[in-house]
Amino acid sequence: MTTNILKVTIDRGAGASSVQSVFNVPAYDNQTVLDVVSWVQQNADQTLSYRFACRVGMCGSCAMMVNGVPRWTCRTHVSKVLNGHEIEIGPLRNLPVIKDLAVDMDPFFDKWVAAEAVHHPSASRKEPIAAVDENSKARVAANAGIECINCAVCYAACDTVTGNPDYLGPAALQRAWTLLNDAKDDGRLAILESVSGAGGCHNCHSMGSCTAYCPNDLDPMSAIAGLKRETFKSLFKRGL
Amino acid sequence: MQIERYDTDVLILGAGGAGLFAALHAQQSAPEGTKITIAVKGLIGKCGCTRMVQGGYNVALGGGDTVERHFMDTIQGGKWLPNQDMAWRLCEQAVVRIRELENEVGCFFDRNPDGSLHQKAFAGQTADRTVHKGDLTGIEIINRLMEKVLASGVEKLQDHRAVGLIPTRDKSALAGVLMIDMRSGQFRLVRAKTVLMGTGGGPSMYKYHTPSGDKTMDGLAMALRAGLPLRDMEMVQFHPTGLLAGDHTRMTGTVLEEGLRGAGGQLINHAGQRFMFDYDTKGERATRDVVSRGIYAEMRKNNDPAQEGVFISMSHLGPEWVAEKFKGMVKRCTDSGFDLAGGRVEVVPTAHYFMGGVVVDVDTRTAMEGLYVAGEDAGGAHGSNRLGGNGVANSTVYGGIAGDTMGADIRGMSLRDPDEDVLATEFERATYPLTRKPRPIQPLRKELQDLMWEGVGVMRTEAGMNRALLGLSDISNDMMDAGVDGSNTAFNLTWHDWLNLRSLCDISEVITLAAMARENSRGAHYREDFPDPGAMEDSDFTVAQMDSEDVEIRREPVQFTIVRPGETILPEGSPETLVEAP
Repeated sequence: MTTNILKVTIDRGAGASSVQSVFNVPAYDNQTVLDVVSWVQQNADQTLSYRFACRVGMCGSCAMMVNGVPRWTCRTHVSKVLNGHEIEIGPLRNLPVIKDLAVDMDPFFDKWVAAEAVHHPSASRKEPIAAVDENSKARVAANAGIECINCAVCYAACDTVTGNPDYLGPAALQRAWTLLNDAKDDGRLAILESVSGAGGCHNCHSMGSCTAYCPNDLDPMSAIAGLKRETFKSLFKRGL
Repeated sequence: MQIERYDTDVLILGAGGAGLFAALHAQQSAPEGTKITIAVKGLIGKCGCTRMVQGGYNVALGGGDTVERHFMDTIQGGKWLPNQDMAWRLCEQAVVRIRELENEVGCFFDRNPDGSLHQKAFAGQTADRTVHKGDLTGIEIINRLMEKVLASGVEKLQDHRAVGLIPTRDKSALAGVLMIDMRSGQFRLVRAKTVLMGTGGGPSMYKYHTPSGDKTMDGLAMALRAGLPLRDMEMVQFHPTGLLAGDHTRMTGTVLEEGLRGAGGQLINHAGQRFMFDYDTKGERATRDVVSRGIYAEMRKNNDPAQEGVFISMSHLGPEWVAEKFKGMVKRCTDSGFDLAGGRVEVVPTAHYFMGGVVVDVDTRTAMEGLYVAGEDAGGAHGSNRLGGNGVANSTVYGGIAGDTMGADIRGMSLRDPDEDVLATEFERATYPLTRKPRPIQPLRKELQDLMWEGVGVMRTEAGMNRALLGLSDISNDMMDAGVDGSNTAFNLTWHDWLNLRSLCDISEVITLAAMARENSRGAHYREDFPDPGAMEDSDFTVAQMDSEDVEIRREPVQFTIVRPGETILPEGSPETLVEAP
């Protein structure tokens, strides 16, 4: 089974301090990029650092740059990304590197909270669960982004994030849009205020990398467009 | 290396359903100004298995279903071994917790056409009871909880691994927890008035296992060393259909969901034939334990290393229908190179959930003052088998209860001084591999996983377990010669692999000893040499406890505090099941 050898280049760290290590990794039939990284740590270089948890595309902690593109490594089959026999793996873009391939996701989640992307309750545990029509227009819009697993692939793909460290980014804004459409959420004003601020939705140039690279086929770009429309509307109303 | 000292009021270990709920509830119930700290081996919201829940959340919400019925299903599913008071509280409080999840935390679960919550039935349930969000229920629950906790102002210690529970000098109470800040390698003793352990078990010492990579029984290994009693430690639940993709990939062992069999998925052996009806009249729709044993028996009959597993086949249901109905599962298989909708996918039983855990009361208190345990680390609620959908109900219900209890208890508590000798011992234990010559750790982990799968797995015998015990002692000794390069302790995964393996070896021994002590077959525990379940009225459960250097196993009778075997608390004339036949 191990007749082929992959030439794997790993960017350890980011920017000017980045160092590259090259490894020869045996190829297997069923092999993901995460398996390649794991093989290196388990067999070739004990000191390699990276992050993973669930192994199946549910936790969103193993995203890395693979041949320059952000991907879930656990769900990326090697055959999909091989460049001849070569593959280059680096830490996720737009986030501080802790060591090697492991990044600090705190800035991503701090922005999630700053975007008011947290449920604002309109009822308590003492009350019954509200009936909701899943086919209503608002609920369909809310459901569109609900399967986001906050893996930060869109955040890494976004050039606006690279250019403006204050920009909240596609994932947080998409969650804010979901809540704006959620009939159970009572935070409309707070959300609109936070997403129309300096780091808000109007920074987005609709380049669409978020939507292009989302491993879950979600569409943050359209969600951000929705926020832009709503913030204009509310501005207009307030202006009157 | 120095040990930093750090104080908080409430410390929570783990950030799954139990840990996150405990943080929110502690904040609601503790006096103003209480410092609450949540520590997790990885990142908040990313670790643990609540997030990986596919099926859903069991809760009786009317339509004929009652808390009493949910309770009876839980007791019968657990083969009369559950702690009945814990099981009752689980079923009763799930009703409150699901409203809290929807109304306060902001989860959205699937609806019926009339707008009410959609509920379905898993194997072993007598009502349509499982609330869900498609087949990604855990993601919805943990994402929403994570947001709440991140916005709550609770202090975060991420990438922090707990390595030892440090008691007071007189051992009467817990003083704090020794941790490693994995990002820097720095040791930190975190003292707290109350500590919740919600690190989530996880039987990842088996060749095939489902839990996330961070789960390695660290909590139970710490509790064992601290001298706490652990119950039902022989009870390892195997999920029948784990993906089999080879030794070299982390995909192997991950779950292909229960719903595939429920929808009519067929299991096919090496000869191309269906076999489950040879084992049970319900065929593929039998409960997890029965199907796991059926598959294991077929694998053993075939005994071909080149074609180890059996196959799950869905295509007779129509590949397009399968692709639509099981969208997430089909996509996951496609990404990994398998065609679930139109082809066959090779599967094996896979270690999924650990019913055993620390002995606790219904308020999550333990025998050690200041220590509370909830979720998969706690034993008792499920007995010998957990029903699908009761796992996330258990972690969220008892995590919330732990938060409430700690918030109340803390009012009469103060910080305690640690036993410096225990602290020094735990520090030496954790740094030990850094003092030895480096050697690969993974081969030892593989040896352990093969050994437990063969000897203490789906079907067990005394002879097999005796062999396993000998092998375990070899691996345990062997790993003490396997060192780790300690030149840089920052984010040193290999060091943590070693510590993971240490926890797994320690708990594997307890599982094996408890399984040898139980000379009958109940729920998840099956003895080929003792296939009978024994008399239900005489049910007892195992309790394992460290006695100086050795693990002692004793047996305690189950207290039937609510219902006795053969009886029911359902009103006379209640139908056996409310679920329509498929």
